[in-house]
Amino acid sequence: MIMPDTGHALRVRGVSRNFGGLKALRDVDLEIADGERISVIGTNGAGKSTLFNLIAGVFPATSGRIELFGEDVTGMSTAKRAKRGLARTFQTSRLFEQLTVAENVFIALGGSEFRGGSLRPAWRSPSRWERGERLLERVGLREKGEAVVADLSHGEQRQLELAMALALQPKLLMLDEPAAGFSPSERTHLVKLLREIPEEITLLLIEHDMDIALAVASRVIVMHDGEKILEGTPDEIRASERVREIYLGGSLDEAV
Amino acid sequence: MTRLATPTRSEKSRGWLRPGLIIGLIVLALAIAFPHLVDRPKFWIPNIGIKSLWLGIVAMSLVFLNRYVGLLSLAQMTIAGMSAYGVAYATVTLGLSPWVSIVFGLMIGTLAGYLVALVAARTKAIYFLMLTLALGQVFYSWAAQAVDVTNASRGLYPVPRPDLGVMNLADLNSFYYFALAAAVLCYLLCRYVATSSFGLALQGIRDSPERMSALGYNVNRYRVGAITFASFIASIGGVIVVFDRNQVDPSVVNLNATLDILIVAVIGGIGSLLGVFAGGVVLSLLLNFSQDFTDRYMTLTGLVFIAVLLFAPAGLAGIGKQVQGVKDRVLRKKKSAPVLEPVQEPPTKPSEEELTTEGTQR
Ligand SMILES: Nc1ncnc2c1ncn2[C@@H]1O[C@H](COP(=O)(O)OP(=O)(O)OP(=O)(O)O)[C@@H](O)[C@H]1O
Ligand SMILES: [Mg+2]
Repeated sequence: MIMPDTGHALRVRGVSRNFGGLKALRDVDLEIADGERISVIGTNGAGKSTLFNLIAGVFPATSGRIELFGEDVTGMSTAKRAKRGLARTFQTSRLFEQLTVAENVFIALGGSEFRGGSLRPAWRSPSRWERGERLLERVGLREKGEAVVADLSHGEQRQLELAMALALQPKLLMLDEPAAGFSPSERTHLVKLLREIPEEITLLLIEHDMDIALAVASRVIVMHDGEKILEGTPDEIRASERVREIYLGGSLDEAV
Repeated sequence: MTRLATPTRSEKSRGWLRPGLIIGLIVLALAIAFPHLVDRPKFWIPNIGIKSLWLGIVAMSLVFLNRYVGLLSLAQMTIAGMSAYGVAYATVTLGLSPWVSIVFGLMIGTLAGYLVALVAARTKAIYFLMLTLALGQVFYSWAAQAVDVTNASRGLYPVPRPDLGVMNLADLNSFYYFALAAAVLCYLLCRYVATSSFGLALQGIRDSPERMSALGYNVNRYRVGAITFASFIASIGGVIVVFDRNQVDPSVVNLNATLDILIVAVIGGIGSLLGVFAGGVVLSLLLNFSQDFTDRYMTLTGLVFIAVLLFAPAGLAGIGKQVQGVKDRVLRKKKSAPVLEPVQEPPTKPSEEELTTEGTQR
C-alpha cells in the first residue's frame, strides 16, 4: 500500500468525515498527478469545502489517508502541510481585516519561520514588500496596497484571498470558489489568471460557475451528498445525464 | 474568529502618527516636569506619579496582548506580582545585590509567563480569560500560604529602594525618573515589536488564525512568544511595585489588583499603548481622593468604569478620535447638500459614528 510516489501531488484514499451524526464526506478517493488541473463541482452541502479542509488539515479525517507529494500527511498540522507546498483559499475570505492589503501580502510572504530575524522592523525588508507589490499587480490590486482590508469590496477581498495563496509559491493550489461574488469582468480576469498559473503548479478548484470550472480544468469531479459520484473530462461532464439531473433546471446558478 | 473587546474599526492610525507623536512628547514633557509642578511632592510623587506608572506598565502588557494578539489576559498583575516576589525573595531571603535581584525578578516573571503561555496559548477568547484569571487566583492563594517562600500574608520585607550606582533610588525623585524611564522603555519596546515582522504576524493571528496556519505559521508558537514578551513587560512593572512598597505581600496579586489593571486598560482605551497611563492616573487619583467624599471607593471606580464603557468605548485615548469623528460629521452635513457624494462609505463606518454621537449627546 505505502508506495513512495513522486508523480502525484495529492492522493486521497477512502477519506470520510463525520460532524456528529452528519456524514459530510463518505469514502472519497482522489488522485491528482503533478501539474493537473482539476475542478470539483457539486451542489450546496455536497462536501466540497470539507474535502478541502481535510486536505489542508484544518480538522482530521474520521477515516482514510491523505498523501501530499508522495508523503503521508494524514496526521500532520496545517502549518506543516503549507510548508510542504500546499496553499489554499477560503470560501469565505479569511483576511487580516485590520491591516492594509500590502501588509496582508507581506505576512503571507513571511516564510512561516519563527526566527530571530523576524524581530527586524518590517520596513527593513524592502524586497519582501516589493514581491508583495508584484503579487498584488498580478491579481489586479496594484492600486490598493495602502487600503485597509475591511474597506475593500467583496470582489477585491476575493482577489486578495488569491494573492495570499499565490504568495506561498505552492506546488498544489486549492481554490474554494474563487469567483464567488465576482462581476463578469472580474470572472474573465480570473479565468485568464488561472490559465496563466505556471504548468508545474497543480490546481484543485471548487467552482459553482460551470463556465469557469470547465474552462480551466482538464478533469472534473462531481460531488453529491458527501460522495464523489462522477469523474471525467469537461466534455464528458457537460454531456452527463447524471450531472444534468443533479443540477436540474439550472439550480446550480441559483446556488452561486 | 472569536475575539474580546478588540477595537474592530480598521486601524488607520498610520495617518494619525504625527499628531500622536506631538501629544506623546507633550505628555512626556509634563511627566518629566511633574515632580517640580506639584505642591506636596512626598504625597504626589509616590501615590500618583509612580503608582500611575507601574499601573500603566502592567496594563500596557495587557493592552499589547489584546490589541496585537487579540487575547485578553487577566494574569498580567499576577505576572508582575511574581516578578515583585522574585526581587523580594532575592533581596530578603537570598541576600543578593540589587541588580542581581532585579534580573532575578524579571526572569521569574518572564519564565512564569512563558509557562502560563504554554498552557493558555491553545485556548481562546473567554477560555483564555478564565484560565488566566484562575491561574492568578491559584498564585494568590499559594502566596498567601507558602510561609517558607513568600512568608504568607505578612509578605517579604524590607525591600529598600537600592542605590543602583548610576541612580540612587532611595531618592524619591530618582525613583520616579527610574519608573518613568522604564515606562518609556516599555512603550518603545512594545511599539518596536508591534512593527516588526513578528508583530505583523501577531496581528495576522489576531485577525485570522486559520489563515495564518494555512500560510504555514505555527500559530501557537507566536502566541507563546507574544505572551512571554508581554510577561516581560509586566515584570518590569513588578520591579517598580516592590520598590514602591518596600515589600511584597499577597495583596499585590489579589483579585482587586487584577481588576485594577483591567480598569486602567479600559479607562485608557483597551487598544492604546499610551492610554494606559491616563488610565493609571485616573485610577490612582480615585484611590487617593475618593475617601474625601465617599467611603465607597469600589462603587466609585465601578461607576467610572461603566461611564467610560458607555461614553468613550475607545477609552481616554480614543476621545480625540471621537471628537474628530463628530467634527467630520458636522462638517460633512454642512457641505453635503450641494456636493455629490463621490466616495462609497466603508461598511464599518456609519455604526462607529453612531456610537460616537450617541456617546457625546448624552
Ligand atoms: N465545521 C463543521 N461543523 C459541522 N458541520 C459542518 C462543518 N463543515 C461543514 N459541515 C457540514 O458538512 C456538510 C458539507 O459541507 P461543505 O461545506 O463541505 O459543503 P460544500 O460542498 O462546500 O457546499 P457549498 O457549495 O455550500 O460551499 C454540510 O451539511 C455542512 O453543514
Ligand atoms: Mg463550500
